[in-house]
Amino acid sequence: MADLGYVTLLLALALASYSVVGSLVGAGRDSPQLVRSALNATYLSPVALGLSTAGLVGAFVSRDFSVEYVWANSSRAMDIQYIWVAFYAGNEGSILFIAFALAVLAAAAVYFSPQALRPSLPYVNAVIMLVMVFFVGVMVFLANPFARLDIVPTDGRGINPLLTHPGMFVHPPMLMTGLISFTIPFAIAMGAILSGKTGDEWVDAGRAWGILSFALLGIGLLLGGWWAYTILGWGGYWAWDPVENAGFMPWLVMTAFIHSIMVQKRRGMFRMWNLALLIIAFGFAQFGMFINRGGPVPSVHSFGQSTLGWIFLLFMGVTMVVSFAVFFWRYNSLKSAQTLESALSREGAFLVNNLLFLGVASVTLWGVVYPLISDLFQGEVITVGQPFYNQVNGPMFLALIFLMGVAPFLPWRRASWRTVRQALIAPVAVALAVVALLLAIGVRNPFAVTAFGLCAFVTAGIVREWARGTMSRRGRGESYPVAFARLIAGNRPRYGGYVAHLAVVLLALGVAGSSFYGVQRDVVLAPGEATEIGGYSVKYIGSSAVERADRVEARTEVHVFRGDDFLGVYRPKRDFYPSFNLASTQAAIRSTPIEDLYIIPGEILDDGRVVFRVFVNPLVMWMWVAGPMLVLGVMVALWPQREPAAVYARAPLDDAAVRSGAVTG
Amino acid sequence: MCYNITDMPSILNIRERINGPPISLGLLALFSIAGLAFIAAGCASQPDTTPSAEEMEEEAQGIDKSLMCPVCPSETIDQSQTQLAKQMRDIVREKLAAGESREEILRFFEDRYGTSVLAEPPRSGFNLLVWVAPPVALAAGGLVLAAALRAMRRSHDSDSAVDAPADEPGLEPYLSAVDREIHGITPAADETSEGRD
Repeated sequence: MADLGYVTLLLALALASYSVVGSLVGAGRDSPQLVRSALNATYLSPVALGLSTAGLVGAFVSRDFSVEYVWANSSRAMDIQYIWVAFYAGNEGSILFIAFALAVLAAAAVYFSPQALRPSLPYVNAVIMLVMVFFVGVMVFLANPFARLDIVPTDGRGINPLLTHPGMFVHPPMLMTGLISFTIPFAIAMGAILSGKTGDEWVDAGRAWGILSFALLGIGLLLGGWWAYTILGWGGYWAWDPVENAGFMPWLVMTAFIHSIMVQKRRGMFRMWNLALLIIAFGFAQFGMFINRGGPVPSVHSFGQSTLGWIFLLFMGVTMVVSFAVFFWRYNSLKSAQTLESALSREGAFLVNNLLFLGVASVTLWGVVYPLISDLFQGEVITVGQPFYNQVNGPMFLALIFLMGVAPFLPWRRASWRTVRQALIAPVAVALAVVALLLAIGVRNPFAVTAFGLCAFVTAGIVREWARGTMSRRGRGESYPVAFARLIAGNRPRYGGYVAHLAVVLLALGVAGSSFYGVQRDVVLAPGEATEIGGYSVKYIGSSAVERADRVEARTEVHVFRGDDFLGVYRPKRDFYPSFNLASTQAAIRSTPIEDLYIIPGEILDDGRVVFRVFVNPLVMWMWVAGPMLVLGVMVALWPQREPAAVYARAPLDDAAVRSGAVTG
Repeated sequence: MCYNITDMPSILNIRERINGPPISLGLLALFSIAGLAFIAAGCASQPDTTPSAEEMEEEAQGIDKSLMCPVCPSETIDQSQTQLAKQMRDIVREKLAAGESREEILRFFEDRYGTSVLAEPPRSGFNLLVWVAPPVALAAGGLVLAAALRAMRRSHDSDSAVDAPADEPGLEPYLSAVDREIHGITPAADETSEGRD
């Protein structure tokens, strides 16, 4: 199996290299056959890398410990389903996974490329496959997942216990797919620049892939938070750790892009800016993959310190320098078709949005690299931890939420103060009412009150817009559900955006609730003892230890009461892995829309007492609702429109694009 | 003095007299919501009495979250489950019970383990840089943006001076025509979204 994997890996390298050269030479010599053949190589890449992936999975399944990677990341005692996790638990396997994901995305990007993108497609393909050459090349020359050991061990070292959690089946693959998916919009942007088609031909494809990668990475990050919350055993979901930041920064830049691309789509403006944003976003995505692979900054997540990181850093540096060189080479052809008429307009609001998103991304980058700067200048590695990010990024997030409530109601081009007042008076009233209510019930933290007030402001604006549109349609004889559905279908980018905005509101509710009103208690309980927290009573009944092949499972049993009401039996557990000298906890979480009761068993003392940490975390459930909601919003925004209408809409906008598209196609 | 919520609408009217960029309206409303929240919160705060056990524990947890565990990468002593973190948590509580302040306790650990034990960089000396850079960069970004907007608007004005069609209709009528074409929206329904998208 492993040999098959290695051979197909070599094949993938050959295919990718051929695809790059073929499409560039084909485009240069105007040879459609050569380009088509290069694209066929792209279509074959997922097959080759799929076989390679199957080879590694096969080696895991057959417990082939002669393969070093299999030996290092699995053992006979490991539950069989964790082979999927073990597959990407180390550097070599995760790079194979990334390459496979990129191959699938590349084939999809080429296959689904719209007519307007055809003239630049060879360049788009070349850029994607160049990235592919890098990843497959790293495996072939530096980090071969199929490398053999000289002496075949009888058993493997086993999988990192922290990874044996349901969240690990989806979070890392989603995050890796999300990060690598930034290659596609980046390649579309570079293809536009390289082919000289720097008008608006690339916008639809660039926007669609931008939104897709935004969603993939966003879901990956949320799943990461969920995993941290349910297993890391500290009651939190986000710690501003360098690795978390590394996944967050590209997402912020992509979020800026999917907003500002709308300005180009509707008004033909910000052409240079949008291309630059995609280059920056890809740079951050590469930085993310670099930090992940044994970067220079200490992190809870760094898996396998290795020198591989520096190859990634080099690749990132070269990519950025070359990309911006090409960008400035084409600088003069990137002029916008329209100019800004008024700062008080949708365009103006999008610019402020971009400033804030890039602001948060830059602050985060600054926090990540500052320890290195400090080491350089004062010889001491300074910690830049959570309090820094909360204080500096917090206000910017509040400003972004506020903008989210205003910007959608500003018209394009130019707004009058009267329109703005009309649009905002009701949401502001609702927000003030909510603030008054919160103060009345005793919520006092100014940041929390501001955050909740802003959430109400945004929600009120969106609900009002939906209600008005539905009523207006309803007036023409449609029933409420039909009117609402047709309203949404009538302008999917807009209403999909609203759904995503509501998801962000839910996220903000969860963050504000748990960070300002979370209660935490550490207690030592003997069997039969109880502790009171936030109106709950948590009674420890007893624990039992189960010896497994690779771990000792300590299951504790607790009974939860509220007043006299019995709320149920919970069994938080703590697994100890002797071979790793590592414990992993599985919290018991009683989740309600209002608050989570969160119980983790810590150390189990010799006398049978257990150290418990109990939290009451308000509103956290809404953070996990935000994920599916975000996916829903993205699906609404991206659901394909009927084709003839789309062609009709495009034609008069840019005759040249259609004509050149017609020639090639 | 406490603030009356019903005064808010009169504050919002001020913006009619402001001819600034949209941000000024935005910031105004943002500040009014935040301001209201802060003022009200200020009004509500009670004079301090001796801390209860619960308040003391809350204070201790705040300190836990401000101290890094020296032996584990990137975890505070609040998060970390190592023995050392546990001991440090105990020391925090002992010192609080002995009447030491948050600052004194943080300094105690800083003297022992170095500045890197603090979760947030101190706001002094070279490390002031980490705090000052973000607002300065954001302000600079804002200024560049404002300058760019001004330049774009000027070029628009000069363009329109040459081309004359000051209220050139642009793509808007065309796009709404396309929207109607695609979705079969009749003008009646269009009123709600006209000129917005």
